[in-house]
Amino acid sequence: MSAQGDCDFLVKRARELVTEDPWAAKAWLITARTLYPTDFSIQYEMYIIERNAERTSSAGRLLYDIFINFPDQPVVWREITVITAALRNDSQDKHALFLKGVFETLPGQVQCQMLLKATEQCFNTLEKAEMLLLLLKRFPESVVQHGVSLGESLLEAENVEDLDTPVNCFRKLFVCDVLPLIINNMEMRLPASLLHKYMHKAAEFYIGYVTRGPGADTQIQLTGLKSPGMGRGQRYVIDGLSEKSSVVTEPWERLLEIVGVVGARCEWQGEKGSRYVCELLQRVKELCRYLPGLEGETLSRCCSQIVTCSTLVLFRSAHHYISTVQPSLFQGHNALGVTPWVLLEDLSSVFNDVEMDRSSGKHAHKKRKLADGREKPMSSDDEDALGKGRGRHILVNKVEMPGWAETLEHFRTARESWDLLHSHDALESEFNKICMAWKTESWLWFRIFLTDMIIYQGHYRKALSSLVQLSALQPQQNQNSLSATSNLETHRALIQQASCHYALGEHRLIIVKLLYKMLIPCTSKDVLPFCLQLMLACFKLRAFSDSGRDDLALGHVIVLLQHDWPQGEALFLKAVDRICEQGSFQYENFFNYWAWMAYFTYIDMLEEFAYLRTTEGGRVQLELLPNQGMLIKHHTVTRGITKGVKEDFRLAMERQVSRCGENLLNVLHRFCINEKIILIQSLP
Amino acid sequence: MSDIRHALLRRDPLSAAKEVLYHLDISLGSALQNAPGATPGLDKNTVDLVEEFIFQVPKDRSVQRKRMSCVQELQLLEIMCSYFQEQSKDAIRQVIFSALFGLQGNKADESRMAMLGKLVSMAVAVCRVSILECAATWLQRSHSAWCVRLARVLVDDYCTLVPCSISNLQNICSASPRFCCQLITAVTALYDLSSDELTPPPALLEMVVGWITEDPRLLLLTFINMPLTSSLPIGCLEVTPLMGLLRWCVKAPLAHQRGRKQSLTNGHVETEKVPGCEELYSKLHLSVLQVFLMLQVHLTEQNLLGRLGVLQAESVATLVEELGRSVDELNPLHAANQIQLALDRLAQALQVAMATGALLCTREDLRTLCSRLPHNNLLQLVMSGPVVQPPPHSAPFQPSLYPYIHPARPSPLSPHATHQAALSSPHAAHPALSPLPTHPALSPHCPLPPHTAHSPLTPHAFHPAAMAFPYRPIR
Repeated sequence: MSAQGDCDFLVKRARELVTEDPWAAKAWLITARTLYPTDFSIQYEMYIIERNAERTSSAGRLLYDIFINFPDQPVVWREITVITAALRNDSQDKHALFLKGVFETLPGQVQCQMLLKATEQCFNTLEKAEMLLLLLKRFPESVVQHGVSLGESLLEAENVEDLDTPVNCFRKLFVCDVLPLIINNMEMRLPASLLHKYMHKAAEFYIGYVTRGPGADTQIQLTGLKSPGMGRGQRYVIDGLSEKSSVVTEPWERLLEIVGVVGARCEWQGEKGSRYVCELLQRVKELCRYLPGLEGETLSRCCSQIVTCSTLVLFRSAHHYISTVQPSLFQGHNALGVTPWVLLEDLSSVFNDVEMDRSSGKHAHKKRKLADGREKPMSSDDEDALGKGRGRHILVNKVEMPGWAETLEHFRTARESWDLLHSHDALESEFNKICMAWKTESWLWFRIFLTDMIIYQGHYRKALSSLVQLSALQPQQNQNSLSATSNLETHRALIQQASCHYALGEHRLIIVKLLYKMLIPCTSKDVLPFCLQLMLACFKLRAFSDSGRDDLALGHVIVLLQHDWPQGEALFLKAVDRICEQGSFQYENFFNYWAWMAYFTYIDMLEEFAYLRTTEGGRVQLELLPNQGMLIKHHTVTRGITKGVKEDFRLAMERQVSRCGENLLNVLHRFCINEKIILIQSLP
Repeated sequence: MSDIRHALLRRDPLSAAKEVLYHLDISLGSALQNAPGATPGLDKNTVDLVEEFIFQVPKDRSVQRKRMSCVQELQLLEIMCSYFQEQSKDAIRQVIFSALFGLQGNKADESRMAMLGKLVSMAVAVCRVSILECAATWLQRSHSAWCVRLARVLVDDYCTLVPCSISNLQNICSASPRFCCQLITAVTALYDLSSDELTPPPALLEMVVGWITEDPRLLLLTFINMPLTSSLPIGCLEVTPLMGLLRWCVKAPLAHQRGRKQSLTNGHVETEKVPGCEELYSKLHLSVLQVFLMLQVHLTEQNLLGRLGVLQAESVATLVEELGRSVDELNPLHAANQIQLALDRLAQALQVAMATGALLCTREDLRTLCSRLPHNNLLQLVMSGPVVQPPPHSAPFQPSLYPYIHPARPSPLSPHATHQAALSSPHAAHPALSPLPTHPALSPHCPLPPHTAHSPLTPHAFHPAAMAFPYRPIR
């Protein structure tokens, strides 16, 4: 007989008894254990009985024994894996709670060892990290030993997996769980360079998190509805994490906390652990003044403080700005019912007399923020008076843009940080390094901000190239599935391009851009008026040019003047005067008069034209019907050849009068689309 | 003194008894104050007064005194109850109690016992902890025959006469665990399962098992609190109820079988006590084994492991003998299962008791002891001992980490620390239980352990000769 045989016999007897007489079963096992204290199967059986009966303290006691005495038994490992898994997830079921309870009964040292050993058993980096985290959170003293290596292993895992976004499970764990433990542990002495590296990793993560697109990113899977514009109800999961642990609350605040702690640990100049962004920026601004006098170690330390803080402020403010201007870009914003905004040239002077425009010489660069192009009552925000000479204003409708002051403030702060970052070579190169590392070039939202900033500064050439970059960043789309967001983005870019061309005086390019835009189903009724104004502005100068007559441009102007009637009344009268002066008015050959007439819905205008033909009106020869033949042919069908042109004019007039109620914008839209070729050709 | 007697004789019996009680309090109280620490002796006169006026033993045939009426006796008991409750000094209480109820070896002892039974029964009913504590001490010092009589009174009062009143008795466990520990020892001495009359009533069994499963450490209470200097009087109760309880567990299956056989021959089946009791005995048996494990912790702590046997080898021999006789009385064919159960329990208890140092005995002794018993696999295994072999599996044996065998110097991280703390904590608060342990006078094995093979450090190798022993269990 062998010892093994004895043990098998004893355990077998216990197993036979356990259901009908559990006390006897235990008595057998106690006896067995005194006979064979080193036998694993006996003690494991004891544990199993207690575990199955869910008796927490005795199960814990026995688990302790087998853990200490049989550390290499695979069964023990399986058990520990089950228990630690229960610890990691937040399941509330009875057995999981029991297992957690068992773990809690163990002495701290054993818990610590158990978690460490369990960690060794994990081959999956994520699980391993979660396990170690349990350890670090429970036993702060273990942070010193394991904290940095855990952090590094997470960052390495991220590299190895070659994930294309910083918002991934490894980074999340590192930034949200491990990093706070590391930087808040006062017993750790970490080099400033490492702290900076970690802080930048955190910043990249948090910025990536807040600016994550609505489901465009492959790492962020939408679990909710797939319909566009799903608002608040949408949920997202970082790949590899549970939905609950994918949530990061108050990301900017968390980031500022980390910056505060790291700043304090790196003994930043004047760092008081402030949580206020404006203070942060103010402080580094002051610091910047000393920069020229510094060199070597001090300079580089100072630089990294300035760059870190300014970068943070820049991205934070730009994000806030963009989330107002283009809310649908970001996940978590309710895109429904929120209007996007676009920064454009101010065209309020479009109805002014041409002479005044000319006399004002250079454009008074006024920027106007338009809700999809609609004109706004004015409000000016003179904010850069001490800037580069020219006072710039952003005009917004306070009513339609709630929180406008805040948004403008964010825009201003972001620009300020940008300027600061480009005020010194050392700062700029440091900042560029961060941008390279984070691939900020590929951030659509940031490109939008940069474009707005360039437009605001009046660098229209640069703005145009920025707009080209922007369109390259937009997700490639096929015609069939134009998502609402990307469509909007295309519009914005085109309109801003047109606006820039206007500012540059490149009128023909404006028309090209605008017409391209018009060809796309014009979803936004707010954008069209701006387009029309822009076109008006282009043709106006040509139509009233002193150098020669341009009936075609004049004709366009007259059509376009209908918009916002009677604002353009003065200009219209000027146009009529001009026609009278000329004694004739000739619209392009192949452009037919009736068709042209069809673009009028204002009876005042129609009457005016009718009057011009009369003797009293000066018998102006309106050569509006150059293609007589075609017209006659056309009318043969309906009315017969005998009817005269004069008769036709009258009938056309009557018909047109009857259509006066038609929606003007529809008419003007039709005008732009039908006459696109001539519109483009009419500008050199 | 005779003046006092004469004065008392003129009084009515109750007031005379009160007067004697008062006299006792004054004289013993002042004696204790004058010589603290020393137990004041009672002079002959005082003893006489107590016997004559409290226990109503006539001293003088010439004087025919009126005895106390039942009501007066009840009043006297009440007075005693309140006296012990109100006397705040533990030492005085103990001295008065032993002055009153300490057995003198004379004819008055019967009266003493009668009064004591009534007093303790009353104290249980109204939960007078001070009296119960005094009674616990009395149970430790008195001859077991008297202890058994007191136990019988309580069992009669609470289990037999008024069965529903057992909850009163049940509840005193938390009030005076020391008393309960002694009471258990006394009832196990009373009921030895040798006959139906001497089988514990189910209600009593249930209560005892309830107490023990609630807190098994109860069984070690008297043992742990045994003062350093005390030597046990001859013929007193065992220091723990373990042996008695073990007898219950081992003999119960056979007693039930016997009971069933008898009731069958009587023509009617007695069902009331059987089913629940089997479970209770199984629980009880497990508790006894667990208490052995606790005992080991205590013995190791006190450096007594292997030097102080708690189960006496003689008692074990008696049990084995009784068991053998019971087996003989039964038809082995009809009671094979019961016999095997009894032998399983015996084997388990012997093994665990030996392993934990509660029983100091070699496997060789055991084989001699149990040679007459029928075959049982486990018993065979226990007698031959574990197979000694090179360390099994890959697991290295770490004796110092194995808690029940080597419970160790308490370190803050060790769970034994809590174990030990818990072992004494519920009772530690009790003023009467000042722990001054070590038990030099207790064991015949002391101070030199004859069983050198039982090195406490290698409990798994009980017997170096185990290898040579040819018999192995037959399975």
